[in-house]
Amino acid sequence: MAESVKVLPEDIKAIIDVYEWDMRTREGVQRFRELKAKSLPSVALDGELVWQSIIPMQEEIIAKIQDLYRQKNQGV
Amino acid sequence: MTESAFSMSKTQRYIYKTQRVCPPEIHFQANDAILESVRFVGGGCPGNAQLVARLLQRMPIAEVLPILNGIECSKGTSCPDQLAEAILAMQSGKLQPVSSFRVEDDPTPRKIVGLIGELSGDRRVLRQLTESMATRGVEAVFCAGNLTGTEKAGPKLIKEIGKSALRAVTGDRDWAYAYEMETKKLPFIDRKTRDFLARLPQVISFQMEDRKGVLFFGDYLQTMPGYSDFEPYALEINMVCGLTDFMRDETVFPALEAMAPQFRADIIIFSQTGKWGHWHLAGKDFISLGPAVDRDGISWASLEIDSGGLKYSKIVTSNAIGV
Repeated sequence: MAESVKVLPEDIKAIIDVYEWDMRTREGVQRFRELKAKSLPSVALDGELVWQSIIPMQEEIIAKIQDLYRQKNQGV
Repeated sequence: MTESAFSMSKTQRYIYKTQRVCPPEIHFQANDAILESVRFVGGGCPGNAQLVARLLQRMPIAEVLPILNGIECSKGTSCPDQLAEAILAMQSGKLQPVSSFRVEDDPTPRKIVGLIGELSGDRRVLRQLTESMATRGVEAVFCAGNLTGTEKAGPKLIKEIGKSALRAVTGDRDWAYAYEMETKKLPFIDRKTRDFLARLPQVISFQMEDRKGVLFFGDYLQTMPGYSDFEPYALEINMVCGLTDFMRDETVFPALEAMAPQFRADIIIFSQTGKWGHWHLAGKDFISLGPAVDRDGISWASLEIDSGGLKYSKIVTSNAIGV
């Protein structure tokens, strides 16, 4: 999953911070439960689960990030 | 000056197998410079051993070694002399620190094993279970703790287990007793029994033909000093205890299925919840052992493997304790 984020265009990477949790660890399990995720891989944006069990297409990730970015920066 | 110039190595736990002295093991915690604590386990003069332990607590190793070295008690050595050997072995790297929990392996491939949950200090229950298992040709018996109870500490039960072929891991209460961390409400237990508990493993691995089994009590293992998410069987422990809440949260089973191929074990057994249960998921068997005595009666679980695969059965021996 992290691979699909690593290959995002630079302009998209410039507006996001990426965190990856290792599900083998207690910390990863704790984060998984905080997000109320059910399956793997799971991707959350701004603390909300967006994708589960699938690796989304890059276009889909970009569109969702841009959408969230626009919403957060409306009126700025 | 750099920060590392002041740093001291991490304190770690060591278990040294002694030679020619009464206690078979010395458990100690130390770093490069300080002997944090020491305990002579499993025999010897308990009063003297405790005194030595108290006197040496948090002493610089450079001061400890000359005091211990060369003391003779019998057969050319002594408990202090063996402790000196242990520290020297630690310093030379011949003695490696133990991981947070101790794993004991039963390498013999089994066809049928008996599984016991919480015994709670009751010797009569163990006898009844043993009789029942004998009639079914059980090859090995594993107990997932707790051996000790809240009403009965169970020194007689533990003594009986010590003489039997049963293999047990410590439950959370057993572990607390072993290291004198039990709550004051719990019944008294003598040092010999504590020593026995301190020598038990926290995890048992075993073999059912070509399938690997692992047995532990529950999530207290994750709080043990030095627990690492990457030591053997930590993944199984993290998934059972943390992810699935002991298989009670079925909504995360898809995630468990995704993680299961990375497991070392194929059969994962635990007993913390006090409920009986069996789940087959992603080619793995998960078994929760209930207490030996519950409202159904006196129970154990049989695990049998044949050409048809693994068969789990809960066996109720009776609904009352025979006196």
